[in-house]
Amino acid sequence: MAEVNLKNIRKSFDGNEVIHGVSLDIEDREFVVFVGPSGCGKSTLLRMIAGLEDITAGEIFIGDRCVNDLHPADRGAAMVFQSYALYPHMNVFDNIGFGLKLNKVNKVEIRRKVLDVAKILRIEELLNRRPAQLSGGQRQRVAIGRTIVREPSVFLFDEPLSNLDAALRVQMRMELEKLHERLQTTMIYVTHDQVEAMTMANRIFILNDGVIEQIGSPLEVYRNPANLFVAGFIGSPRMNLISSSILGVQEKQLTIQLPGGKVLPLKRNTEDLGEGERLTLGIRPEHLKENKEGDEFFEGTVDVVEHLGNETYLHITDADKNLITMIADGDSNTQKGETVQMGFHHKNCHIFNATGEVIN
Amino acid sequence: MHKNRGTRIPPKSIRYSLYSLLAVLVSMIFLFPIYWAFSTSLRNPIETFTVSGLGIPFIHFVPTLDNWIDQLYTGEARRAIGNSTLIAVSASLLALFLGTPAAYALARFRFKTIKNKDLTIWFLSQRVLPPVATIVPFYLVMQTLGLLDTHLALILINATFVLPFVVVIVRQTFMDLPIELEEAALMDGASYFGAFLKVALPLAAPAIVATGLIMFAFTWNEFLFAVTISSKDVITIPIHMAGAVDTRGVQFWFMAVRAMIAIAPPVIIALLAQKYIVRGLTLGAVKG
Repeated sequence: MAEVNLKNIRKSFDGNEVIHGVSLDIEDREFVVFVGPSGCGKSTLLRMIAGLEDITAGEIFIGDRCVNDLHPADRGAAMVFQSYALYPHMNVFDNIGFGLKLNKVNKVEIRRKVLDVAKILRIEELLNRRPAQLSGGQRQRVAIGRTIVREPSVFLFDEPLSNLDAALRVQMRMELEKLHERLQTTMIYVTHDQVEAMTMANRIFILNDGVIEQIGSPLEVYRNPANLFVAGFIGSPRMNLISSSILGVQEKQLTIQLPGGKVLPLKRNTEDLGEGERLTLGIRPEHLKENKEGDEFFEGTVDVVEHLGNETYLHITDADKNLITMIADGDSNTQKGETVQMGFHHKNCHIFNATGEVIN
Repeated sequence: MHKNRGTRIPPKSIRYSLYSLLAVLVSMIFLFPIYWAFSTSLRNPIETFTVSGLGIPFIHFVPTLDNWIDQLYTGEARRAIGNSTLIAVSASLLALFLGTPAAYALARFRFKTIKNKDLTIWFLSQRVLPPVATIVPFYLVMQTLGLLDTHLALILINATFVLPFVVVIVRQTFMDLPIELEEAALMDGASYFGAFLKVALPLAAPAIVATGLIMFAFTWNEFLFAVTISSKDVITIPIHMAGAVDTRGVQFWFMAVRAMIAIAPPVIIALLAQKYIVRGLTLGAVKG
């Protein structure tokens, strides 16, 4: 068990910097998720913690040791790879026990530990099989077993569920959560799937373009996105982002323009803001209500109606040609081509300044 | 539709028959010289050019094992087989032993001063040079070392010449292996050498064995250096074959036997090791 600290970590490939000075602190026994779009550097960051990638600058601490120059195996971390990376020429037993064998653990002890792990993961009957004879879910369990058996102080997961089908992914997600509860070990999990991030994490680290955009609990980042990137990335369907401008600035009150010309007064910190400045209004699809319900409303025409059973997605074009998504009730009768009046509460509005930072 | 049933041959069958016929014809073109050598090896010298038809034993002539007995019981032939086997096996193993780690390094590590791509091309460039251009330097080197007409000289020269192939072919094999397997081994506690030895090497083994077989065939067939570097004590099979030419002309009956002996080892080894040539061991290692 250990905390993980990154201090001003940088990584360059052929002079091209991809991680731009990332610093973060992960607490002991915490389950954190690095989430971000493809190419944001989340896997590179994880691989640097694992020791599989050199660090261009900065320091990584696992526990109280700086592990910069330590061999991957000496860092006390174990990793589950996206592709499982099971040794195809070994059976499941040998795959799980390989690390112990390398560490010269005696055969009786290896057998005991492998059987214990197999029991936890319910793969006892698979121990004599080769990886090629296993299903995707079984392979994933073996890959996890291989990490558990080494009793690491930090678990690293690199998009471990992305090769599984949707149903299995949900099941494995729950199993990983249970595993975390049972082992009480620090876990760092990389994914581009925000559902995995939201459901599993104690804290989410949202990365974009080699920098951390926001750190917080799943609900924190969902409810209070720090910038436009986080607002657009977290949440599905994504937050509606409407271009607007400042009509008036008073002390602690901002007046902005709504699509169609309406005026929206909002209580905000108005420091450094001036009339005419561009900004973005963000409203989550579930916070828009049909029939003017709320403090304010604006109008739009329905382009597409998607009935999902429990809810209905309405894709709407407003008066300023912004594309808006609204989540209505499952039994909504709104038809394509109808005009809807989208109501919302002031408290559900997010305002971002011209540089994309949130205005609180 | 119903009317035609039973009267028309489906086009697929016609295609299949044509392909089969073509395959048989092509095989015959390749196999005929071997068959002819085999047939000649069973004839009396006098029947070499007088046999009619396709020279089928028992039909067109009465076969005899005299040529085989003569050749197999002379010390020369047996020495040539022994020499060739020792040189080909040793040179192939030496090339694999030296080339496989080099191939792995080129596949997995990034060299900074000279780029990996340039190093690979440098290896390959050793084979661009016509071997004949290196005869004099090699002769002088071996003379200086006192190795002329020794097994060691031919082993070293042959290993040098097949080494680039080993490096290039095996490098590609390592590159095709998922790197995560070795990374997993590193995380499990293996050193870089351990990951190579315990994970990459067993997985690349089929390709390495296949490469070794090809190198064995190359070395087994090598003529140029064998004839220049060693001409008395270390006679190899190709030199022995060429030796069937004497003042009376070409002794086709002996040459046929020697040709069959020369063909046999690479063919037998290839047949026995067929399963290693078939790849697919990595199946199931990664997502699927």
